[in-house]
Amino acid sequence: MANTATGPQTGVTLYSFTNEFLTRQFELDTLLAEVAKRGLGPNIEIIGFQNFREFPDVSDKFAEEFKQMIAETGLNPVSCAINSDRFLKPGQQPIEDAALVEYHKRQLRSAKKMGFSLVRYQFALPVHLLPEIAPYAEELDIRMGVEVHAPMWAGHPAVQAYGEMYDKLNTPYLGWIPDFGGTASRIPESMLDAARAKGAKEDLLDKLKEVWLEGGMSHEKAGRLREWAVAKGHGPMEIQAACLAFFILSNHDPKSWAALVDRTIHIHGKFYGVSEDLVEEAIDYDTILPLFKDGGFTGTMVSEWEGHAYDTRDAFEQVRRHQAMARRIWGA
Amino acid sequence: MLPVERVIGEEGLAATAGGLKLAMRLPWYRSLPFSVVEVGPLTIDGKAVDLSDARISYDGEEWALSDNGERVDTFWFVRDSAFLVLPSLNADAGSSHEVSLNLFVSPPYIPGMKRTNPQTSTLTVAAA
Repeated sequence: MANTATGPQTGVTLYSFTNEFLTRQFELDTLLAEVAKRGLGPNIEIIGFQNFREFPDVSDKFAEEFKQMIAETGLNPVSCAINSDRFLKPGQQPIEDAALVEYHKRQLRSAKKMGFSLVRYQFALPVHLLPEIAPYAEELDIRMGVEVHAPMWAGHPAVQAYGEMYDKLNTPYLGWIPDFGGTASRIPESMLDAARAKGAKEDLLDKLKEVWLEGGMSHEKAGRLREWAVAKGHGPMEIQAACLAFFILSNHDPKSWAALVDRTIHIHGKFYGVSEDLVEEAIDYDTILPLFKDGGFTGTMVSEWEGHAYDTRDAFEQVRRHQAMARRIWGA
Repeated sequence: MLPVERVIGEEGLAATAGGLKLAMRLPWYRSLPFSVVEVGPLTIDGKAVDLSDARISYDGEEWALSDNGERVDTFWFVRDSAFLVLPSLNADAGSSHEVSLNLFVSPPYIPGMKRTNPQTSTLTVAAA
């Protein structure tokens, strides 16, 4: 599909409806129909390994069935999220590089066959393998965006190493997919409430907020909190509920995304709870979104409600509010 | 575990000619290969179950639980139940049992993350 957009577009990832899908309230076809009926598209993202039983190797037959669903709903399959599953062996041991390259190619073929125009991939793919994969994406004519997800952000060394390789390969088929969870201003109160509901005590949550603001990798910070909490007698499930925050959110500067705008091909509009007056509780959209509009971004931001990781609020209503918030800020 | 996640599947516990069969769900938001999932410990009515002869049954295939680590290319679709087959155990159809199961998940793209997912349910044995 030719991109004739003159500004940023909105859409939704079906990941927002994880709870509805996992509890079997919807099949893929009925979920797509619901998204279309509520006017939350037409642009959509789908995680291959969430919604497609045949992933990573989708058959021609299923690809045709999927295209039929898309035709019937009038949706636009923008992005297929693929996974850079390097640590597939027990004990998180890595598979061979050649196997990991092939693993990406299988998913790229499936995404292309189903009509997606780009894929999301992940930093678990070592940067030195990009020169082997990029020509294949060019040959298939499908773009690849690496997801800059917490604890990553524009200034992270891994992002800089990818940026250098991107400069070297200099192809429009490789780009960034910012995920705004990397620049959260605070831990969402709804997430803290969910931990409280699981029995987490206030001193554990106070310590969480303190450690969350410190430097270091997610698992190091989680380890630090765990060590403190075990010594203080907190239980394993409460500690696990608290540690979730380290893996999905970090607190880097919202303005730092400016450095990545030029090669941004798609956006994960991560959010936790948008109020009735259209303000997200943890991520400062009023600072972030203008950077992309002003920088000339004309791709899609898919609304990605991740409150489902601890909450069973109405995901459809949350997505509606998030898209309304984006229109408020972008003035579209 | 996340709010809607479960490790004991909707199909519950069944008595079969091959032993007791327990339905399991993958406690994660996406499909994963069996190699990154550790099954057990399992207790039934408070007693630890020896899983050394246990088997996994999924999508028309069956293999020894001890071979799970080699299943790097067998994907457990996140919507489907897989079944733990316990050849040495049986129970009367209609009897009730308290089942506690834990599955450990190590997401293959998040180094250092390993999640514990314990669940306990009282299940009535179905005839199969």
